[in-house]
Amino acid sequence: MGELLQHLLNAIILGGTYALLGIGLTLIFGIMRVVNFTHGELYAFGAYCMYALVMPLGFNFFASLLIAMALGALLGAFIEIVLLGRLRAADIDTTMLVMIGAWIIMQNTEQLVWSGVALSVRTPFPSEPLVLGPMSVSWGRLYVFVVALLLIAGTYLLVNRTKLGKAMRATFQDRDTAALMGIRIGRIHTATFAIGSALAAAAGALLGPVFVVAPTMGDLAAAKAFAVVILGGLGSVPGATVGGFILALAEELGAGYISSGYRDAMGFVLIILILLFRPTGLFARKERIG
Amino acid sequence: MKFAGALAAALLAGSIFTSAYAQETIKIGVTQPLTGAFAASGNYVAQGTKIAEDEINQAGGVLGKKIQLIIEDNKSNPTEAVSTVEKLIEKDKVPVLIGAWSSTLTLAVMPKLEEYKVPMIVETSSSGKITTSGNPYVFRISPTSAMEAKAFQPLVKAMGIKKADFLYTNNDFGIGSGAEYSKMLKENGVQVGVMETMDPNATDFSAQLAKIKASGGDTLFVTTAVEQLTLILKQAKEQQLKVRVVSCGGSNSPDQIVAQAGAAAEGSFHTAFFPPWFPEVTKNPEVSKRYMDEWKKRGYNVGGLTEGFRGYDAVYVAVAAIKAAGKAEPEAIRQALWGVHVKGVYGDIAFTKQGPAGKESGQNVPSVYLVTIKDGKVQKTSF
Amino acid sequence: MSRYVFWIIVALLATIPLWVTDYYLLHVAIVTGIFIIAAMSLNLLLGYTGQLSLGHVAFFGIGAYTSALVSLGFSVHIAPEIMVSLAPQPVWVGILCAAVLTGLVGYAIGKLAFRVRGAYFVIVSLSFAEVVRLIALNWVELTQGPMALNSIPALTLGFGGYELSFLRKPQFFYLMLFIAALSYILIARLVNSRAGRAMIALRENESLAMSVGIDVTRSLVLATIVSAAIAGVAGALYTHYIRIVDPNIFLFIYTVTMVIMVVTGGKGTLAGPIVGGVIFGFVPEVLRGMQIRPEAQWIVYGILMIAIVYFLPEGIVPAVRRVLVSRRGKQYAAGFKEPQAENK
Repeated sequence: MGELLQHLLNAIILGGTYALLGIGLTLIFGIMRVVNFTHGELYAFGAYCMYALVMPLGFNFFASLLIAMALGALLGAFIEIVLLGRLRAADIDTTMLVMIGAWIIMQNTEQLVWSGVALSVRTPFPSEPLVLGPMSVSWGRLYVFVVALLLIAGTYLLVNRTKLGKAMRATFQDRDTAALMGIRIGRIHTATFAIGSALAAAAGALLGPVFVVAPTMGDLAAAKAFAVVILGGLGSVPGATVGGFILALAEELGAGYISSGYRDAMGFVLIILILLFRPTGLFARKERIG
Repeated sequence: MKFAGALAAALLAGSIFTSAYAQETIKIGVTQPLTGAFAASGNYVAQGTKIAEDEINQAGGVLGKKIQLIIEDNKSNPTEAVSTVEKLIEKDKVPVLIGAWSSTLTLAVMPKLEEYKVPMIVETSSSGKITTSGNPYVFRISPTSAMEAKAFQPLVKAMGIKKADFLYTNNDFGIGSGAEYSKMLKENGVQVGVMETMDPNATDFSAQLAKIKASGGDTLFVTTAVEQLTLILKQAKEQQLKVRVVSCGGSNSPDQIVAQAGAAAEGSFHTAFFPPWFPEVTKNPEVSKRYMDEWKKRGYNVGGLTEGFRGYDAVYVAVAAIKAAGKAEPEAIRQALWGVHVKGVYGDIAFTKQGPAGKESGQNVPSVYLVTIKDGKVQKTSF
Repeated sequence: MSRYVFWIIVALLATIPLWVTDYYLLHVAIVTGIFIIAAMSLNLLLGYTGQLSLGHVAFFGIGAYTSALVSLGFSVHIAPEIMVSLAPQPVWVGILCAAVLTGLVGYAIGKLAFRVRGAYFVIVSLSFAEVVRLIALNWVELTQGPMALNSIPALTLGFGGYELSFLRKPQFFYLMLFIAALSYILIARLVNSRAGRAMIALRENESLAMSVGIDVTRSLVLATIVSAAIAGVAGALYTHYIRIVDPNIFLFIYTVTMVIMVVTGGKGTLAGPIVGGVIFGFVPEVLRGMQIRPEAQWIVYGILMIAIVYFLPEGIVPAVRRVLVSRRGKQYAAGFKEPQAENK
């Protein structure tokens, strides 16, 4: 019983971070329909920012998170303007290849600068975990969970209650009408990509100190982000949130009771099952296929 | 204009001179993962080879010529490893190779060694298959998992191990190590609990650790590289897993663990094939110190000392064989390797026959050490 | 390209082993050629039906493992008491099995995966490849998992008393060339047939195609079967050349390689994958020889990818064709046909 409770607690904590990864991508992939292979690299970028700010420069741990997010947004905007600007009407595979090229460049630049050795970020949290009966959780992970929930709530409010959010939703529902209504399409694209990237960077900045910071850390994170987005339905922030928790639960219980080797396969298996039997995901609105 | 002409002439002369000079070197091929999943370790080994190269050349080289390392990146990928070996043998015409770091990479290139009849010195890989497949072109200086487990045997009673659990990576390295250690433990009356695996890229082991906690063993044997080991120690502490942790495989870089796992590393044990914290216990302390001093002088990451020496020793072995062979030719070098005795950081390196008769591979028997982390420092164990 | 041009090019290529004595270059040519075969098969799916599959490497890998296992022999428990065994078979049987099995898998995927389109299909195909990789990694009893299947035999064919062995590079080059030419012809035939025209209609406008009675699913499934089978044969060739196979064959980077070859060369053209393949097969080798840090080599590769896709989004072959056409100006303007002519 104690083991089960520990698995459940692990799943909840992990779910928050998967959700955070997912909502950034659901904005970009779900709304902009860009198969964003750089999402994982923004995640890694956020983690490296944390490392650079906290370790050699000695910035405050909590302020560094905000700085990392801001830098992530800037990098995302840069990528969107420089690379995607001309490709807005292009085929899905053209944008995808450009994103893959950007992914290769970013990851190898990171390795060039930081070398492949994994780096640790010092946290201000005690190393003794918080013990709740038969379960225990580290303070670091608890912090990540709380911040993730705040960011998720913030994003939901942004998309649904602000003017910018309205403009975003309008643009991707019907681009031409939105343009006729005076919305600056280019700016919306850039802003959406920047916000999604900032969220990815935030996830990396939060998780980097919990795990380690290495150039390849983004790959697995990106894969899980895609799984979460599919689960929840493209473009749905609440969907991605719930999707994140479902994925984490499937992984924890699957690894705990079926086989730990197949842990990371859970996400992909879920994707396939969902797409075969409920292609629009668990929460998406009516969606024209194709 | 005149200056440009003179400069051009000087460059031309210089290039002719250097290219003619370059033909006077004896080439040694090195294939290591410099990018990709194993990049950290591969780069350490490559750095070790470079130290040896410079030392040997400063001392006059071998057979009157300088040696030249040609280092290729196998991108942590078996197909690339095969490509690098093809390139080194076909294009650069190296008479001897060093590589390829991981067991999977080494196994991938072994058929090519036989096809082209060029020997390779295996510096890190631990899978038993490498020296038992009947490939007479393989000469391994690193220990197999079986040897490592055997060296550990006397400590089982001393440490009072009654029930052991396992956590290892899902590849040759981890699976081989888990198999050998569990076999050795069972032979010594220890009960084996759960044997959990993990993907080499995984960062979250909460599920596996929860299962291990439920299993209730007193010792946990972990086989993986240093990044995952750090995370495992930290997460074990988070889950209040109060077992003795022993890390195996020798790619565990205890210095890095102390730096990154902090308090979570306290009380853990690690096997090492070279203990840079007390080099005086190694078989050849003067060699160890020479290697360490040069490493530190070049400002290389101290955490890499436990891996760089593999490349260092491998180059010395290659050179010893070239010297004994009297010529830089693959078959002569291969035969000469059987007779080398090199005082290396690994210990006294010599090759014994292993594998099917008539097609044996060479295997060295290096020393194995066990260290522990106490009070934030790497220390000798009291066993 | 016309039939004569095609055979002339094949004949020219066939002379390569005669004057390329650098075996390393020959090695690069062989591996590139094998990937070009796989790229051609991907082109069938991507270029002619318009569906982007990021899981194509799964067919390649399944073909590789099938052929390896059939030629090595295996025994595996599919249930605690039931064991399935196969004694080692000749290699050509392995290759045949690879084609058949991958074709079947293609059929299943075609039926299932094409319930979704566009971005969803991309993700489903990607996930499929990942799951197959994880199965290859974990089903150790069958695949040896990460310990890899090694000592895979090379192809040998016996005619009467004469035995031909495809072990050395020159022979393997000819084998690769033969299979490549065969695949090209097969794909060209398919594309120019009625089924092929149905696929192109589907690519151009799916709902319109459906409205004129084209069975969209059937076209897609047919394309997937052929595409998968060819990729499977390419994988089998690969495994009997490298003679070792491990789950890394399913790595995403190989799919990327194939997709790049198709898209930069020109998807929807028969020559596209070949042009793209030659470029992106040899670029990593050229970069390797440039004596810059490995990470920098990758960065240059990434920049090259982006540059070609950015400036020639249709691919190199269509761009070249446009230049040639504009040169011939008026002469062709009257008779220049729509994309139908593209599928040469």
